[in-house]
Amino acid sequence: MEKRSGQGGPAFQEDEEMEEEDKAPDMEAWERAYADDRSWESLIEDESGLLKAGDDVQQQRQHRRRLIQASGPRIQRGIIRYLCLILDFSRAAGEIDFRPSRMAVVAKAVEDFVREYFDQNPLSQLGIIVMKNGIASVVTELSGSPEAHIRALKSNLESFGEASLQNGLELAHTYVQHIPSYGHREVVIVFSALSTCDPGNILETVKKCKAARMKCSVVGLTAEIYICKHISQETGGSYAVAMNEGHLKEILLEHVPPPAAMPDASSASLVRMGFPQRGSEGAVAICACHKELRIGGGYICPRCRARVCELPTECSLCGLALVSSAHLARSYHHLFPIPTFDELLVDASLRGKSSFAGSCFGCRIQLSGGGSLRLRCPRCKRDFCFDCDVYIHESLHNCPGCETLQEEAVT
Amino acid sequence: MKFVIEGLTVYFPYEFIYREQYAYMVELKHALDARGHCLLEMPTGTGKTITLLSLITSYQLANPSLAKLIYCTRTVHEMEKVLDELRRLHLYQEKEIGSSRAKILALGLSSRKNLCIHPVVSSETSRESVDAGCRKLTASWVRAAAETNPDIETCSFYQGYEKQGSEQPLPPGVYTLHDLRVYGRQRGWCPYFLARQMIQFANVVVYNYQYLLDPKVSGIISKEMQKECIVVFDEAHNIDNVCIEALSVNLRQNNLDGASRNIHKLNQIISRFKETDANRLRQEYNRLVEGLAQQGNLHGSDNWLANPVLPEDILREAVPGNIRRAEHFVAFLQRAVQYLRERLDTDTVVKEGPVSFTTTMSTAAGLDQKALKFCYDRLHSLLLTLEVTEIDEFLHVQTVCNFLTLVGTYTRGFSIIIEPYDERMPHIPDPVLQLSCLDASLAIKPVFDRFQSVVITSGTLSPIDLYPRLLNFNPVIIHSFTMTLTRDCLCPMILARGSDQLPVSSKFDMRSDPGVVRNYGRLLLEMVATVPDGVVCFFVSYSYMDGIINSWNEMGILQEVMQHKLVFIETQDYVETTLALENFRQACDCGRGAVFFSVARGKVAEGIDFDRHYGRLVIMFGVPFQYTLSKILNARLEYLRDTFQIKEGDFLTFDAVRQAAQCVGRVIRSKADYGMMIFADKRYNLPNKRNKLPQWIQSQLREEHLNLSTDMAVHIAREFLRRMAQPSDPQVSKSTLLSQEDLEKMAAMPNF
Repeated sequence: MEKRSGQGGPAFQEDEEMEEEDKAPDMEAWERAYADDRSWESLIEDESGLLKAGDDVQQQRQHRRRLIQASGPRIQRGIIRYLCLILDFSRAAGEIDFRPSRMAVVAKAVEDFVREYFDQNPLSQLGIIVMKNGIASVVTELSGSPEAHIRALKSNLESFGEASLQNGLELAHTYVQHIPSYGHREVVIVFSALSTCDPGNILETVKKCKAARMKCSVVGLTAEIYICKHISQETGGSYAVAMNEGHLKEILLEHVPPPAAMPDASSASLVRMGFPQRGSEGAVAICACHKELRIGGGYICPRCRARVCELPTECSLCGLALVSSAHLARSYHHLFPIPTFDELLVDASLRGKSSFAGSCFGCRIQLSGGGSLRLRCPRCKRDFCFDCDVYIHESLHNCPGCETLQEEAVT
Repeated sequence: MKFVIEGLTVYFPYEFIYREQYAYMVELKHALDARGHCLLEMPTGTGKTITLLSLITSYQLANPSLAKLIYCTRTVHEMEKVLDELRRLHLYQEKEIGSSRAKILALGLSSRKNLCIHPVVSSETSRESVDAGCRKLTASWVRAAAETNPDIETCSFYQGYEKQGSEQPLPPGVYTLHDLRVYGRQRGWCPYFLARQMIQFANVVVYNYQYLLDPKVSGIISKEMQKECIVVFDEAHNIDNVCIEALSVNLRQNNLDGASRNIHKLNQIISRFKETDANRLRQEYNRLVEGLAQQGNLHGSDNWLANPVLPEDILREAVPGNIRRAEHFVAFLQRAVQYLRERLDTDTVVKEGPVSFTTTMSTAAGLDQKALKFCYDRLHSLLLTLEVTEIDEFLHVQTVCNFLTLVGTYTRGFSIIIEPYDERMPHIPDPVLQLSCLDASLAIKPVFDRFQSVVITSGTLSPIDLYPRLLNFNPVIIHSFTMTLTRDCLCPMILARGSDQLPVSSKFDMRSDPGVVRNYGRLLLEMVATVPDGVVCFFVSYSYMDGIINSWNEMGILQEVMQHKLVFIETQDYVETTLALENFRQACDCGRGAVFFSVARGKVAEGIDFDRHYGRLVIMFGVPFQYTLSKILNARLEYLRDTFQIKEGDFLTFDAVRQAAQCVGRVIRSKADYGMMIFADKRYNLPNKRNKLPQWIQSQLREEHLNLSTDMAVHIAREFLRRMAQPSDPQVSKSTLLSQEDLEKMAAMPNF
């Protein structure tokens, strides 16, 4: 069990740390700070030509608005998702209004998205389709391994020709048809081009997608395009256009949390799943996914005893969905989210009062100084700073205030 | 919602009202209170129509002495839109104050072509043939003959109307043209004659400009309107041109040939009548001796040709002796046609005033001015006497008489220009004799004089102070409203330089410069690669458009454009253009994207909307000046300078800029919409052009959007499109709307 967890979730955390270390030597400290948050982009030029730094508090509010929209009331969510990522690598993706090119930026954002997606939806699968030269081609089949997707995507980076939304959707449609009914069928299109060059009537395809209960969302890179809006509206997806690189990442990550469950799938149904054991060190077995002899590691399917390398996945012999219990546990917080914190408006009249002094319950930073929003948990009535709010809602999924309250109650 | 403006309760069918709508109502009410005329400019997309209707009908409710609202539109489509809005308003009023008090009768009136329900006649294609078809079935002598002889065909709908409909008024309500046709079918009544009868009783009449401005039509239709009417001219930015066209006549070779044939035919009919029914002709002679004025009391369906000159210019006296007899009159016409034919046969351009023209005419051909004046009425009388029903065959002789009457009546404000060929195609002989009205105020003067309040309104009336001078009237209120926007959804830009930093312009000496053509092409290419869905381009003229598209094709620019978007072109053929528009829309709908090439002052620029994704960008290539070598334009400029002290340059710029504004205004039809406008000519950068743009464009024209080059424009466009693609905040858009409480609060404040 311990070993397994060492290989499962935190594996990519390690990777990220590795990357950080890789980056560090060829970039000086002062450079790094700017490279990360791109502070020059938030500069605003006023009428007289003076430069002003962007409003921190305003940005924080904007960030929170997104959070609030995402949360909503406690709802049933579709934990098992099958998501088709359609990427546009047509000629337009070679444009350089995003540096170094739209395609590179998209690839980077998609990489982050894929990792985050599997981190938050361990039971779900994802496949990547690329549109270029007028046709749509499969890069990776629907599967569960983030690394495989990212690897395949990186080896596929070139852009030419036209984009055809219809071909992309048709291909995704054939994909999703085999998905079991409990799975959520989703399509996320990352679209750089401004037009789609279709062999037939795309409106028919949209109808077909709607009938197949595919939820198609579009992330645009350039401008609002009518057909994209139409697709997303018809199929119940969302449509957003990226303002800049950061925003692109942000709107792509909006597709990470699991969506609300489909209204007609409300009846409970059982899904057969296997919880494989970690193979013992030094055991020699033929790996079912790589078709070659491997020594040690891997997981053994509880039904057919085949060896697989990564979790979660589908057993390539008997087709059983293989997950670890840790994955299931990680999906738990989507079902019982912590409430969004309320923003307390800092009123000049209140500032001096004792109730408004004090510090963030999470990190003990002084909240009275300004520069950060003051946010209060509606359950435990403790105040937090903006950074802690983000950490609690996006990573921790537990409110420290409420937890301590519970402990106090127990003791 | 219901609110009070200075003591007047206004019923408004929506829950919220824009600030500018409220301001518009206040100004309009002041004008109505003062019983004067007004000139109001408010951008499209702010709900001008409903504002007007709402205030004026509420005003009617409060002041029953007010007779009618006469709402003039330019097209049938607009007419139907107005009536739809009015229906919504009416339903709301009924809900608020009960159906007994809110009783109104509103109807649209159009030509027979749009209203006829006769199965055979209504299938005719042209307006004239429907009119003629109707007359064949409904003329008084036809019906009289049908009573004795059942073989003669009549129109059952007209008979039905004649029997019952003419006494019974329509039940109150709002009738669109479609409703009238449906009602007519149900009852078996003729909708056209019903509508014409009912406009006397209606509170609101919606019809075309022509019905008030063109004396040939208004004499029949709008004669009985009371003084206490409010007249609204909507979309009136071209009203001066409508006025001028109403009083202008062009004669070409084929008109004169046709007129000769008509005269020949008239001769035949006269000689036939002489043998069979000489008495009739004698009766007519006697009637003419008594004067045309008494010839009234004609039957309803028979008054179909009214005099082309304005009512007060018609002499109430007897027809001169030399044209009283039918054969004399026909001979007179024959001489006139012969004379015109001689004048037309010339190698040089001739320009004359009406006085010298009639003088030479009387000395050379013995056609005296007094007789000329009566030509039109005399022809009308003759055709009636001869019981001619195929009026569509006699169009040419009508045109000639129209010309003769106008020339005989007016001594000022007109000019006669004879051109042997078109300036632009000197090798093709195409002689034309033009009687051109130079003074827009002539046709509209009776409207200003007759009615209590005339409202002239449009989205683009800038510079607004020129209109009172052009139309020669004194408005009590002149106001230009700006639009309150929730976000900067308009992005006008002035592009003065191409990608190579050289100036671009459609100026005559620069327009064929390959550098300019290439720069324009690069601009289009960059833009179609940046802007999604629909793009509309306007050129200054057809010939310029043809030339530049040709060059682009040779340079390979067009092929590159086609990689991004499909290309559609407006042609002078109406059907072809309609088809192109339809395909353009389809290409925008399915995401392929399309460009539409069109011409300023063309059909598309005047009547077609490119709202939402159909027009995300409009590029105006060049400044759409009128063809300055045109003789007619020069005559008009001269007249304007001498009579109204309007400088030539001022008028030309005014006219060009209003056309440009009209073109670019096509892309934005509501506040939720967004669009960019590029004025691609360095001359727009000059303050004298820029300051003539409508207020609502100028207020969005930021300093940094002037004098751009192509690459800068592309950058601005990218940023703008990204910004506009972000979801709009509903909280913010609320702030430009006023609710009932807001208005009550405002009313409570005394100094608002």
